[in-house]
Amino acid sequence: MAAETAMSPSARRLPGDVNMWVFVLGDMVFFGAYFVIFMYYRTRQQDMFLLSQRHLSLASGVVNTLFLLASSWFVARAVQAVRDDMHERALRLVAAGGGFGVAFVALKIHEWYALAHHGFKLSTNDFFMFYFALTAIHVFHVLLGMFVLGFVGRELRRADLRRAWVVEAGATYWHMVDLIWVVLFAILYVMR
Amino acid sequence: MSVAAPPIAASEDMPEADKRDLWFCWWVLPFFYSFFGLIFVLLTHVMPPPSPHKTDEQITAFFHAHGTTIQIGFAILMVVIGGSGILNGFVAYEMKRMSVTPVFAYTYIATLAVGAIPGCLMCAFSFLVASFRPDRDPHIVAMLYDVALLTFVGSLGCFAAQYLTLGIAILLDKNEIFPKWFAYVSFWNVITELLAAPVFVFKKGPFSWNGAISFWEGTVIFVIYLNCFILLLRKAVQDQRAGEVVQD
Repeated sequence: MAAETAMSPSARRLPGDVNMWVFVLGDMVFFGAYFVIFMYYRTRQQDMFLLSQRHLSLASGVVNTLFLLASSWFVARAVQAVRDDMHERALRLVAAGGGFGVAFVALKIHEWYALAHHGFKLSTNDFFMFYFALTAIHVFHVLLGMFVLGFVGRELRRADLRRAWVVEAGATYWHMVDLIWVVLFAILYVMR
Repeated sequence: MSVAAPPIAASEDMPEADKRDLWFCWWVLPFFYSFFGLIFVLLTHVMPPPSPHKTDEQITAFFHAHGTTIQIGFAILMVVIGGSGILNGFVAYEMKRMSVTPVFAYTYIATLAVGAIPGCLMCAFSFLVASFRPDRDPHIVAMLYDVALLTFVGSLGCFAAQYLTLGIAILLDKNEIFPKWFAYVSFWNVITELLAAPVFVFKKGPFSWNGAISFWEGTVIFVIYLNCFILLLRKAVQDQRAGEVVQD
């Protein structure tokens, strides 16, 4: 369906692939439920959550947010490049987006390691339970995104493929990963 | 992928009689899962799971109160569990109609065959053993309770692999046996299975074995997936054409 609509770029259409939108919208509903459950527990133990939050490195959170925003920006530029038939450029932009994704995961692992070194773990209290579980499941999404971007890269390298809707579908997923992180960053690191 | 099946050629509809065996397999699905619901929800009280926070004495009281229905429920399970073999074979057959290598179908069978042991049978036998002599030392009864519920909710690796295998096969398939969106519905379950991992740590809260995230959200998504799958398998049988070559 998406492949057919991609033939007429002037017509109004859903970017990417409707099946990917099913996944992304569903995934966002489920993450939304995690956030609601987090807020429920936070309201019941607000002081403890605020005290625990101080042990997180706000700087790491900010840098990681910048990494993913930059990554999303590169991937968005890649979609524009594909629409203009500039496939070499699109491939370089996707690679840059993936590079920032790797940097995000590396910094996150470093952050977990530093926290564990100071004795904070999943079972420390309810705040760290949510922190480790939610960031871990988000990192799982980032790793899945690396795979998706790799698939997009393969699509761009092969002259017989280069379907714009595949690149758009990959970008749709990657932007969701970014969006979920921004909410996670807000509720875990920033919210007072 | 040299053994992949050729794309389905359009031909006249398969005569209905030729599909009688497939329709039998399909009808096992709603019956099997109805029994599953009856056994695990109404009779044995495994779903929704009782609290991991009970004392040894409360756990012994649980088996005294529900011993009879646990024995009836899991005795029925011992009979109907074979239905899962029919279902795995049926799904594997539909996966072999796809344009992907049959390795996906074999993996699907293998993950669920192994997964049924911790995900279903260990729980049943632990509850049956506890109900067999509920007057045992409460410490021992409590251990059987933990074994049953930790294996039931915490057996996640095989099921995550199963959902991943099915989803990837659907995305790669060119014969359109299942719609692509269902691959992503399958992937949702991978994520909820992974979020069951913390049940080994927590005795209360959202990540315990009866928690909002580890149990309830995963179960809601599984029920959505299961209903879609039953309807899509029905459509897959309906759409199969006469003379279609299915991979060995």
